[in-house]
Amino acid sequence: MATSVSFPVPGPGPAPVVGTAGLSAPVQASLWSDAWRRLRRNRMALISAVYLVILVAVALVALVHTPYSYREVGVARPYSGPSWANWLGADILGRDVLSRLMVGAQISLIVGVGTQVFVVAVGVPIGLLAGYYKGTVDSVVSFIINVFYGIPDLLVAMILLLLLGPSLNNIIIAIVATRWMDMTRLVRGQTLALREREFIEAARSSGAKPAKILFGHILPNSLGPIIVQATFGVPAAILFEAFLSFLGIGVQPPTPSWGSMAADGLAAIRIAPHMVIAPSIALSLTLMAFNFLGDGLRDALDPRQKR
Amino acid sequence: MLNRGTLIYISQRLVLIVFTVFAVSSVVFLGIHRLPGDALFNEHLHGTQYQLLLHHYGLDRPLWDQYTSFLTGLFLHGNLGESLVNRGVPITPLVLRELTVSAEVGLFALLFTIGLGMLLGVVAAIRQNTWVDYLLSTTSVIGYSMPSFVIATFLLLFFAVWLDNFTQGTFYFQIGWTGRFGTIGEIWLPAFALGFPYASIVARLTRASMLEVIRQDYIRTARAKGLRETVIMARHALRNALIPVITILGPLVIGIITGGVIIENIFGIPGLGKEFANSILNRDYNIVIGVFTMYAAMVGLANLGVDLLYVVIDPRIRY
Repeated sequence: MATSVSFPVPGPGPAPVVGTAGLSAPVQASLWSDAWRRLRRNRMALISAVYLVILVAVALVALVHTPYSYREVGVARPYSGPSWANWLGADILGRDVLSRLMVGAQISLIVGVGTQVFVVAVGVPIGLLAGYYKGTVDSVVSFIINVFYGIPDLLVAMILLLLLGPSLNNIIIAIVATRWMDMTRLVRGQTLALREREFIEAARSSGAKPAKILFGHILPNSLGPIIVQATFGVPAAILFEAFLSFLGIGVQPPTPSWGSMAADGLAAIRIAPHMVIAPSIALSLTLMAFNFLGDGLRDALDPRQKR
Repeated sequence: MLNRGTLIYISQRLVLIVFTVFAVSSVVFLGIHRLPGDALFNEHLHGTQYQLLLHHYGLDRPLWDQYTSFLTGLFLHGNLGESLVNRGVPITPLVLRELTVSAEVGLFALLFTIGLGMLLGVVAAIRQNTWVDYLLSTTSVIGYSMPSFVIATFLLLFFAVWLDNFTQGTFYFQIGWTGRFGTIGEIWLPAFALGFPYASIVARLTRASMLEVIRQDYIRTARAKGLRETVIMARHALRNALIPVITILGPLVIGIITGGVIIENIFGIPGLGKEFANSILNRDYNIVIGVFTMYAAMVGLANLGVDLLYVVIDPRIRY
């Protein structure tokens, strides 16, 4: 979703076939350097990339050092606003908001990137098989995809978490279970288009096995759209986790999540607005950065604009 | 329009919806009853009292027995059972009442989404590659990057807290829900927060399809005829540009239904979403099953409604 719902719009759309496959190696290499050149010219994407690098650095620093412990109670007066000692103020129990925000960044990045790793691991092979073998396999996969698109993902994830119990692993499982089909549908479409191309026919007629064709020829040529889709998948997953934690069924206290911090802050919105503003801004900036980066990557990897 | 084929199609879809409701409620029912412990665990009851309570809810019977009586109750009497936390409260009327509240908020959100989204999209397309276009495009990325609860938070902060402080309480937004049917005054902020992220998506889509349409020959013909630009845009271009927008109406409605879970919690609206989140937190499993069953039916009916809307708007589509 943008937010948690699947919309065909902001994603890569009817995926362009990337790659000047069939040509010799140097041309292939220039696709990526071309893309890099175009990406560097996109100012919003570049700013977003810089922001994300900083965010990752902050999350890594939080592994070894935070100003205070994220779970230590009473390091400041409860609800006290930003000050020199506590840059972003303190929360309801007098815990340091900045330290919690830093640890929350870890949670968001783990969920965002972690889910996409599994989404790629699940979605890509299924999509390749469905697109390549067509027929029954494809009908079954397409049917399952449509069933999954028909049910509201946030509600299913909530039920899954209720049944599995709330934990970081189960949050990732729940998000993957409701989001894998974006990638599958994309890869299936790519494979359907690519398998009819001459270079695949050439590979087939020279005796290449299906596994070699799928992973050696079709997969590398659909790498661009896959990367774009995964980039858009990260903010969707982060948002999803924030939603779940906001409702209190995601990451459990005392571990901070931007979603649960915002929920705590909302309860104290009159007396301590900083508690809700800090995680909200962090979350919005991160989602925005991933979306701008995704937009930039899509434009950079889209060969239709190259002439 | 409402010919025999359409009627057959509608009845097929209705059968499918009933089947979906059956499947969804079964999965949730069996899944929840397989959880370790039981729903009355927090009551700290022992002995006879506990046994009586278990017996009251039929929880001492074998699972299969409970399941069949749940299904007969649901499909023959529309009875979803009784709340585990608030003893004696039947779930079906509760859920139906909450549905009217949620639907009210959802409809206004849909209004915001489509109205605002199309307006922004058309303006951006007409002023393509000007600062207006860039401003609106950037706003729409920001719009769908902001979670609805963040938008809601800032709206509350501004209209309920700062405005209150600034005008010393003469003008502010009252959080909460007063009557059986809310007034516009208490709906518009939640509806905006719920609808704005989707409005950004509609705006992007409208812009893209408008740009495609206004390059077509029949628009040039209309211009050559000497029609006024506003007439061309409103009557000729927008109508065809709408068709791709309609295709996302299905996911949009689902998004607004699920988004309500968060927004209703923030604004204290006693709707289906608030009940769903609360019942999960309270482990009121009977209500979880009831609300989820309701959601399954609603999503099915909403999708059917959207599909039927295609027929009304695009005469090329027939079932």
